[in-house]
Amino acid sequence: MTMNSKRNKNSVEDADFGLDSRYKSKKEQVSEATSLMEARLMKMKNLSKGQIIRAKLMQLKLRMEEYIKQPTCDDQNHFSDFLKMYVDTIYSTRNKFAHDINITPIRLSQVINNHREPQDEFMMKLMIHSEKVYKNIGDFQKKIWYEVYFHEKICNTMSSQENWRPRLEKDIKFSEL
Amino acid sequence: MNIVETDSGKKHPVEIKPIEEVDYKTLKKSRYFFDWKNEKEYEVFKLQIVGTNEILGLISLEKIQQEWRVHIRLLTVSKENKGQDKKYDKIAGNLLAYAAKIAVIDYAEYACISLRPKSHIVEHYIEKYNMKLTGVTLSLVVPEILDLINIYDHE
Repeated sequence: MTMNSKRNKNSVEDADFGLDSRYKSKKEQVSEATSLMEARLMKMKNLSKGQIIRAKLMQLKLRMEEYIKQPTCDDQNHFSDFLKMYVDTIYSTRNKFAHDINITPIRLSQVINNHREPQDEFMMKLMIHSEKVYKNIGDFQKKIWYEVYFHEKICNTMSSQENWRPRLEKDIKFSEL
Repeated sequence: MNIVETDSGKKHPVEIKPIEEVDYKTLKKSRYFFDWKNEKEYEVFKLQIVGTNEILGLISLEKIQQEWRVHIRLLTVSKENKGQDKKYDKIAGNLLAYAAKIAVIDYAEYACISLRPKSHIVEHYIEKYNMKLTGVTLSLVVPEILDLINIYDHE
């Protein structure tokens, strides 16, 4: 083994120790960005519909996983937004999804538009549907729809205490204390 | 996400979190190769075994929104995890998969992670992570970027 090849072998073994991946200059970065984008656009043109759906569903799964880890609350409708994303990624119309999980299109629309809470049966059907859809996409936690729903519910309840607490406190008694 | 203890083959669950100001005091160049304080304007993440405080790997990222791309600026495992005598395996792979997740969360089918390594380790990244070379830049896009996420999420 020559000195050079020995050095290269060691370098490869240490490839993950101190990987400096910064561009040498702004000029190099700009020129690389152009050729990289050209290559990527060529590849994107050849992506199948199935590959695009797979990427979008992976995005949805990762977003849901991120959301349930968030300690902070906001006023977004996360559950219904994720549900919308799920249905619109897979189906050409929402009615077709409603048909596939055997609920009325009106009921689906009410859940998606936050006019009605999802019932247990809806959640279970959604869980079964997602399990099948994600089988070939990635590791899918079947409880995740419930986790998203209840995470949002807890957030909403805790952040709106000033609206419900004064009224309900009047009803609470401690007769045995 | 797991890393593997090379002696025993035992898997340890890991978490990757943004670096905190207090961490910079412990990041010596001798153990983590770079002066990580210089990366403060970028997104820097640390890898730790769940329930421990020891940092086993670091990655610094630059999100290039207009190109739907996450560029990996710096990556390192801690010194005791380099080469043949490393204590844990799969630290770098987990960090790359984490960068891939960030890209997919933001850009879905347009997602891309990129690297600009020195020429003698290009082949290593192509073989190990299925990256593609364009000019001097290695990249990973859909569908391969999804495969990388799945490999490290499943393990």
